[in-house]
Amino acid sequence: TIHLDPSNQEIGLTRNDARSLWQQHEMSTRTLAAALAEQLRLILAPTMATKLRGDFRTGKRLNIKRIIPYIASSYKRDKIWMRRGVPSKRSYQIMIALDDSKSMAEGESKDLAFETLALVSKALSMLESGELCVVGFGEDTTIAHPFDKPFTDDAGVEVLSQFTFEQEKTDVRKLVADGINLFQEARAKASGSASELWQLMLVVSDAICDDPDAIRRLVRKSQEEKIMIVFIVIDASARPEKGGKSIMDLEKVDITADANGEMKVLRQKYMADVFPFRWWIVVRDVAELPGVLATALRQWFAEVVESG
Amino acid sequence: MELDAPNESEKTSQVRIKLTTRDSDVQLLETAPILVSTALRRYALSTLVNNLLESEKPVPFEFLINGQFLRTSIDEFLTANGISAERTLTVEYVRALIPPVHISSY
Ligand SMILES: [Mg+2]
Repeated sequence: TIHLDPSNQEIGLTRNDARSLWQQHEMSTRTLAAALAEQLRLILAPTMATKLRGDFRTGKRLNIKRIIPYIASSYKRDKIWMRRGVPSKRSYQIMIALDDSKSMAEGESKDLAFETLALVSKALSMLESGELCVVGFGEDTTIAHPFDKPFTDDAGVEVLSQFTFEQEKTDVRKLVADGINLFQEARAKASGSASELWQLMLVVSDAICDDPDAIRRLVRKSQEEKIMIVFIVIDASARPEKGGKSIMDLEKVDITADANGEMKVLRQKYMADVFPFRWWIVVRDVAELPGVLATALRQWFAEVVESG
Repeated sequence: MELDAPNESEKTSQVRIKLTTRDSDVQLLETAPILVSTALRRYALSTLVNNLLESEKPVPFEFLINGQFLRTSIDEFLTANGISAERTLTVEYVRALIPPVHISSY
């Protein structure tokens, strides 16, 4: 069990507890981490054969969509060919943001969250390219591991010892705002100007947050900044032995008075109708994570490449 | 009059609640967790329970948290009692005891 040392409120776990906890999670997720690392390697590596694209006067293959306008324009709009692009060198910066608020302690979400952290950080460190940062959030956002330090097992122990799951608020709006700032700083420091830098924020949380409209605005801002935010929703309480109450069943209820003072009740499904993030996946068991995360990342990165 | 309808201000925080009752007549069948604004007071919660019960004729309810009647907003109650809005709040509802109605000056 995890004890809070009352004499040292700053640190949630003693160093020994943190070490054994890290080893336990690192061990239980080792095989999964290798699998995830392999999947991520394929996703994050520059695509050798990039797609045929573009509008050129000469090229490899005709762009069918350009043929009718070409004829209609009396053969003037003649950029009807597609070419294969040159694969670009790609580097990445990934931030794992772990929810340190009290609600995580309910339904044992914190164990699943630690496992997720161990799994994802281990997998990313196996890739040995790119930078990894871990932040905690609640009332405030704190950096548990900065981008410019390698993520070793000691770093894992260090990170775990900083989480208490005692924070009385879950300020996701602040997290996203702080995250954008951290990414901007990290981008400025990134080496290799020619390289394509991908920035990804993985939020690990129970998904309960205030002020969805303000968060939605910040999520749009992050998209403009080309920072991808993927929300990993820890749904530990959906496990039958934890009560079987899934976040997917959660209803958001608003009660407001109309002009005549009559009360109106508006019931919405929280995840489908209220939750402000665009990309999220629900995880009940850490064993699901490599597969789900890899599939999701592949889709989302494909979308980034398409739109970029 | 109770000023009861929160104007869904962006600033209010949210809390998960679990509604329970000991009165079998007004038991809720479905017990999915519910997320509400902490700005809610008794009257809004009573409206909610009636909505969930799909009652034809609304029944006024009173609410108890940790055995104490809710006389303020949930937010004020949590602050006064040092309860965290991070945890699911068990809220017990009971039929309100209505004093006999006298028809005086309407
Ligand atoms: Mg929370």
